[in-house]
Amino acid sequence: MVSHYLFLSIILFCLGILGVVSRRNVFIVFMSIELMLNAANLGFVSLSRLHVNMDGHVLALMVMAVAAAEAALALAVIILLHKHKGNLDTNIFSLLKG
Amino acid sequence: MFENFLSIMIFVPIIAGLAIFVLPFSKEAARIIGLAVSVIVVLLGLKVFLSFSGASGAFEFVEHIPINESLGISYSLGVDGISILVLAAAATLFPMVYLLFQTKQKGYYANLLIVQGAMIGAVAATDMVLFYVFWEAMLLPVFFMIGLYGGPNRLPATIKITIYTIAGSLLMLASIVYLGIAHQAQSGEWSFAMTNLVGLSLSGATATLAFVGFMIAFAIKIPLFPFHTWLPDAYTEAPTATTFVLSAVMAKIGVYGVIRFVVPVFDESFARYALILACSGVIGMMYCGIAALAQKDFKRMLAFSSASHMGIIALGIFCMNIQALTGTLYQIVAHATSTGVLFLLLGIIEERTATRNIDDFGGLAARAPIFAFFFAVAMLASVGLPGTSGFIGEFLIILGAVKFNPLIAVLAGTTLIIGVCYMLWLFQRIFFEKPNSKLAGFGDLSAIEILTILPIVILIVVMGIYPQPFLAKIEPSAQRQMAIIEKVQHVAEYRLEPQKSGQELKTGDR
Amino acid sequence: MTHTVTYLGFIPLLPLAGALLIGLIYVVTCQGKQISERLYGILGCVGPVLSFFMAVKVFFALLSLPAEQRFLSHKAFTWFAVGDLDVSMGFLADPLSSLMLLFVTFVGSLIHIYSIGYMAGDQKFGKFFAYLNLFLGSMLILVLGDGPVVMFVGWEGVGLCSYLLISFWSEDTDNVVAGNKAFIVNRIGDLGFVLGMAFLFWGIGADGFDYLSLKANAHNLTAPVGVLVCLLLFVGATGKSAQIPLYVWLPDAMAGPTPVSALIHAATMVTAGVYMVARFSFIYAHVPAAGEVVAWIGILTALLAAIFGMFQSDIKKILAYSTVSQLGYMFAGVGVAAYSAGIFHVFTHAFFKALLFLGAGSVIIALHHQQDIWKMGGLRSKLPVTYWTMLIGGLALAGCPPFAGFISKDEILYSALANGHVGIWLIGVLVAGITAYYTFRMIFVVFHGSPRDQEAYDHAHESPRVMLIPLLILAAGSMFAGYANIPAIFGGHQRVSHWLAPSLVEHHPHSGVGLEILAIAASILAFVIGISIAYRKFTVQVDEPDYSGIKKFAYHKFYVDELYHKVIVAPYQFVGKAISRVIEPYVTDAPVQASGWLYRMCGLAFKVVQVGYVRIYAVYMVIGVSILSLLLSRSLNF
Repeated sequence: MVSHYLFLSIILFCLGILGVVSRRNVFIVFMSIELMLNAANLGFVSLSRLHVNMDGHVLALMVMAVAAAEAALALAVIILLHKHKGNLDTNIFSLLKG
Repeated sequence: MFENFLSIMIFVPIIAGLAIFVLPFSKEAARIIGLAVSVIVVLLGLKVFLSFSGASGAFEFVEHIPINESLGISYSLGVDGISILVLAAAATLFPMVYLLFQTKQKGYYANLLIVQGAMIGAVAATDMVLFYVFWEAMLLPVFFMIGLYGGPNRLPATIKITIYTIAGSLLMLASIVYLGIAHQAQSGEWSFAMTNLVGLSLSGATATLAFVGFMIAFAIKIPLFPFHTWLPDAYTEAPTATTFVLSAVMAKIGVYGVIRFVVPVFDESFARYALILACSGVIGMMYCGIAALAQKDFKRMLAFSSASHMGIIALGIFCMNIQALTGTLYQIVAHATSTGVLFLLLGIIEERTATRNIDDFGGLAARAPIFAFFFAVAMLASVGLPGTSGFIGEFLIILGAVKFNPLIAVLAGTTLIIGVCYMLWLFQRIFFEKPNSKLAGFGDLSAIEILTILPIVILIVVMGIYPQPFLAKIEPSAQRQMAIIEKVQHVAEYRLEPQKSGQELKTGDR
Repeated sequence: MTHTVTYLGFIPLLPLAGALLIGLIYVVTCQGKQISERLYGILGCVGPVLSFFMAVKVFFALLSLPAEQRFLSHKAFTWFAVGDLDVSMGFLADPLSSLMLLFVTFVGSLIHIYSIGYMAGDQKFGKFFAYLNLFLGSMLILVLGDGPVVMFVGWEGVGLCSYLLISFWSEDTDNVVAGNKAFIVNRIGDLGFVLGMAFLFWGIGADGFDYLSLKANAHNLTAPVGVLVCLLLFVGATGKSAQIPLYVWLPDAMAGPTPVSALIHAATMVTAGVYMVARFSFIYAHVPAAGEVVAWIGILTALLAAIFGMFQSDIKKILAYSTVSQLGYMFAGVGVAAYSAGIFHVFTHAFFKALLFLGAGSVIIALHHQQDIWKMGGLRSKLPVTYWTMLIGGLALAGCPPFAGFISKDEILYSALANGHVGIWLIGVLVAGITAYYTFRMIFVVFHGSPRDQEAYDHAHESPRVMLIPLLILAAGSMFAGYANIPAIFGGHQRVSHWLAPSLVEHHPHSGVGLEILAIAASILAFVIGISIAYRKFTVQVDEPDYSGIKKFAYHKFYVDELYHKVIVAPYQFVGKAISRVIEPYVTDAPVQASGWLYRMCGLAFKVVQVGYVRIYAVYMVIGVSILSLLLSRSLNF
């Protein structure tokens, strides 16, 4: 039974990766990252169920807290980026090009 | 009274330097602090020099505080005949810099103070790790002094000297670690103290590699041919005071390092490769000396000249006899004084005329006779005229070289001719010939400049006429070093014998 | 065996102190109001004159001792001592050095006095006397030093002073170049000297590195080292005493003021080489092969310089080449182991050469710095004192029988013949003839005939008394100095040779009277032939001839200077330029540059990966994490 949840978690994670890698809108990329975090959460919770202890739940709560903080920060950055360039295409943010 | 003179001489300048960095001093205040501190160091240095007896050849003014017992690292200082003259040079030459040049920013004085403290530390350290710390600490201020306050092409020169010396230092660090391990393997305890490392018996490929690591580090600092290529750029681009520090003291610490660390610790490898190193010294002397003649920029010419003399000074170590070694130790100071004065005087010219092109000069002897006189004395010392400090060391080195290898000695002797060629030409172009109209406003040295340089000029003459008090302090320690080397040479000869007889046996069998 | 006398040190110290004092006064005052020339002159002459009196005192002190104990010494302090090497700043007066001392201080003092007149009105009057004093002091150290290293101090010191004095009028580039040349060529010789000293030390120097100890140990010196030492020291002598191949600096040294030429050429410096060989006679006597080399180089130099002297037109250059030539004689003398004869020629030469130079200076001053003999003529009536004194000097130089030069030169030639060096003797006689020819060519052209430059002639006037008195004294010396060493055949006792005997290691040849008469007759014949050719050619009115063929070759001094420039100087400069422009940046520095280049290339290579797009970095991350997890899973054996 638990394996289904785990498979779902992996699929969600892969979808997140795909989103991060392939989408050009910063906002979508950010949402994909959130998706990956939640995929991880799902994994934690399912494994917690499997092993019958509460460690996974603790970690899931922890990830949610971090994700919330991170979302606040990231959204602020995104807004600033939009203010700065008027656009959220990742291809225009390439200052690190060697 | 307090007794740890060496620590005070090291840390007073360093702390003063850091204070100037951090606290909001004005440029003038920084200069006065620098001058005051350097005068204190001079007084302490003189105290150490005068009360140093040197008769036993052992370390005096010893300080010892363990830092890390388990690794055998300690804060230990001491002076013996090998370091005393280098120490004296590092301690006494600095006030001139503060008195003569004053256009730089306050950070410059801070760097000068730190570099002085670090140099004294490097010379006084008797623990290898401590030596390494000070050795690295010397480089940093030089990096800033050239990089921030140097001439127009300062950046490439800064990068070159920094990377060059860092590369050498890292090789040395590896070798130092190897020595610690070797000591641990042979005696069961970790130690980096010179007195313990001397007793190591090092042979085999790894030891040779460690020897090479040390030699490259010092060869870069001295500099020995072909590791000298940073020198002309750095000396030319550096502000005069830095050039002075580099040529008069820092290069000598490279020579000192070879004598102090390489000779006694790697005695066997040293004896084996001495001939190659001696060749390197002689080739460097001739190469740089001949190149000096073709320079248009007088600072660059003097840089090559300095490199040329360092070749001869280094040669004295590799000849492995008491005359040459003592000559080298003496020449360290003799050259510091003569080349120092030359760089300072040319620095004064550069400040006043804002040109370094030899062709822009002429006829200064008539305009500035005292200037010309000082320059002439330093020049004569630089070419090794008897009666000046330059002769004693050069003569002893050539004398020793004759015993080591007559061919090397003949080549080394050409320094007498090569040095005169470019020096006379320089003197002719700057001081003789028709006065150049561009220099119409060039007056003689001011009273303060005369009073600053005069003591060194007098020292040059005194050291040429009455060198024995200096030599007497050096010789016992030099004898000790020679005893180590001679022992090895006997061992080497002893080892060669059975091999030979073995070969004879083989041929006999056939 | 040696007696200690503390005043020895003062003999060189007095002129040196004078130099320091005058130098200080000059440096301090030269920008503002200078002190009077008279004061400078007095200050300048005090040191040398006092030294002369002390030299006389030393001479009598030695005279009062029995012959084999004539060694006075004074060790001032230990100069430097390292290991076995122990060099003290010590002075030694023995018969050899006392003889040198006497005429060096005597002639030197006269030249100082003469200079007061010659340099009158010069801007750098004080500086000149400071240098002159320094020069004399260095020469006295050279002569009085009790070992080779102390000798070397003076040896280099006179080299330095010659540089300073030759380039004295330093506004003119030619003078400075001549000074540089003198110093550099001397330095080449000094290299030989230093190496010679080093070999000598490792040979026999461990028990003391002064003459007396070395002399006592000389028999321990192995033959190859002995030859090496002798030849290396002789290299030093060729530099200082202007012998082949290092004679080239001396004619150029005429760029200096005339008293300097006189000082360099007559009393000091150039005689140092001969003195040195005589000083080391205890080694040279053991290795005749080295002596042979010395003698042949000497006599060939004598011949070469005499040939050059025949064609010169500058009065000072004629005298310069005659100096080189006479020095050749001296080396021929010491080379054939006739050390006392060589030193005796040094002694007489000091008088007549100083006389000739100072006389030439008098002529030059009279004609307002005209030195070309083809613009002079008929000066006999205008400058009578100069003429008569120069005539005496010329006769002495040419080897006219009763004069000093004849006796000393004949001694050398006879020794060469008696010791079996017939070739050297023959060349020597030939050179004697040539010497007579060019000396009187000069005298006849300058003083006889009619003026070639009427205007200069009209303005010519005899020099002041301060210049003439030294001339007269030196003329007396040139006439009578030879009587100090009259050989037995003329009823003399060879006093100088006997006097020098304790200092030297030499064996006087005992050959027949016939040989001696032959030598004397040949010398006189050569003199007569030489002077009569000159008389026939130059007492009539002639102008400078146009030389062609071999004469032109000789007029241009066999193009030796040009050859040296092409073969040594130019390649040296070329190598210097090549190193600094090509080798240094592109060869020696290449590995350093290459390592920098390598880093830059690596950077360029890795730069490709840095595309700047966030998602590509995400891809890298994904790939990295995947590989890591794969490895992790492998290692955990799932």
